[in-house]
Amino acid sequence: MTQNETKISANGVQVFYGDTHAIKDVDVQIEDKTVTAFIGPSGCGKSTFLRCLNRMNDTIDICRVEGKITIDGDDIYDKRVDPVQLRAKVGMVFQKPNPFPKSIYDNIAYGPRIHGLAKNKAELDEIVEKSLRRGAIWDEVKDRLDAPGTGLSGGQQQRLCIARAVATEPEVLLMDEPCSALDPIATAQVEELIDELRSNYSVVIVTHSMQQAARVSQKTAFFHLGNLVEFGETGKIFTNPEDPRTESYITGRIG
Amino acid sequence: MVNTDQHIVSAYDRDLESIQARIMKMGGMVEDAILKAAKSLETRDEELAEEVRLGDRAIDTLEEIINDEAARVIAIRAPTAIDLRVILSVMRMTSNLERIGDLSKNMAKRTGVLVQMQPIGSTASSLRRMAREVELMLKDALDAYIQRDEELARDVIERDRDVDQMYNTLFREFLTFMLEDPRNITACMHLHFIAKNIERMGDHVTSISEQVVFLVTGEKPNEARPKADRTSSDPHFSPETDGD
Repeated sequence: MTQNETKISANGVQVFYGDTHAIKDVDVQIEDKTVTAFIGPSGCGKSTFLRCLNRMNDTIDICRVEGKITIDGDDIYDKRVDPVQLRAKVGMVFQKPNPFPKSIYDNIAYGPRIHGLAKNKAELDEIVEKSLRRGAIWDEVKDRLDAPGTGLSGGQQQRLCIARAVATEPEVLLMDEPCSALDPIATAQVEELIDELRSNYSVVIVTHSMQQAARVSQKTAFFHLGNLVEFGETGKIFTNPEDPRTESYITGRIG
Repeated sequence: MVNTDQHIVSAYDRDLESIQARIMKMGGMVEDAILKAAKSLETRDEELAEEVRLGDRAIDTLEEIINDEAARVIAIRAPTAIDLRVILSVMRMTSNLERIGDLSKNMAKRTGVLVQMQPIGSTASSLRRMAREVELMLKDALDAYIQRDEELARDVIERDRDVDQMYNTLFREFLTFMLEDPRNITACMHLHFIAKNIERMGDHVTSISEQVVFLVTGEKPNEARPKADRTSSDPHFSPETDGD
């Protein structure tokens, strides 16, 4: 496997919610053009850590983040960084599809509009079509772009949300259990999409499905009680993990 | 260190235990076949040889059952890590055991022919000792498997060298007998095939031991297997050469 360049670098990251120490001294290098999966039991800190990567934790008052996280070498917690701009660069897709109560077209056009990515209607149309194609949903919605996004099926809504996330030309895509509300067919479509997105983005996915992590990712990180226990090549983690805690978790043992 | 914690889904543990119990049973049947085939040759016991020939069917059936169960576990439980290695090693081991069973059956078939002929010196006893050694290696390999004992498995791999040397010695002996008297040729050819069968059994036991190392460590042993069988590679290997 060829080594890609490091996209995100985290060093000595600590997260506190009030007195609760949620993330303990995590160091990890996330590669560009790679899918990295975060796995671990509920409450292990994997979603918390994911949310550090686009400063979503800023919105929680009692949350405190220490350590250093850089994207392409730039410290994302630097005072000069505008979190809104950061989140355009680091897109996010959530567990439950959350389309805006607007038309399919406006769902996609919203981000590019507020970030001023299109000079005119023609350019915006182009961005909308390109994003919907990247979201692998263009063929299903191209004849009803004025219909409300909330009228789509769950799987379609989730792909719409992925299309919306890529519309602002992000460099990193964070996904927090993007398939847990979807049926197996919609899940397979999203997984196929994730694999395609890999050629342009660095994708980080949090999932409770070990099989999904094994299927979609090239690198896997196992979190346990706020620690990053093991990080490595996905094939290795699932056939011969180093740490007994990783092994107990992925084989479904009482560890 | 192999993880011995129990699964949260206890039926998963039962599935894996059942498969491993069956492979131990299959191993026991194959050990029995080796010993009986060798004994029937030495004691010229046609009835015992017949028993070995007929017994091979039960070994083949058990192989099929184990492989079906392993396939079922893969389909239902999607095993990973140590569980995946258990299943992979089981599937390879059944095929090795099945081959050893076949080789024992072939020995027994030749015994049926050999009892019609004059014995060739004490070679039948030598073959019995060689088969006994292979059977002990198999027993240790199976013990190493069930106890997840990497050291013992590596020890078995080393011991295959002795079996190869026993084969070399017998090879020379058969050549001598054939040169002495051409009437010995038919019997010696059969006996040589038997020696080669036992030598091949040793290779299968080695392969089983390698599976044990894989099971415990997640990696195949990387050093080259000890090879002391020179009969196929050395053109000057003859009864007159003093070997090593």
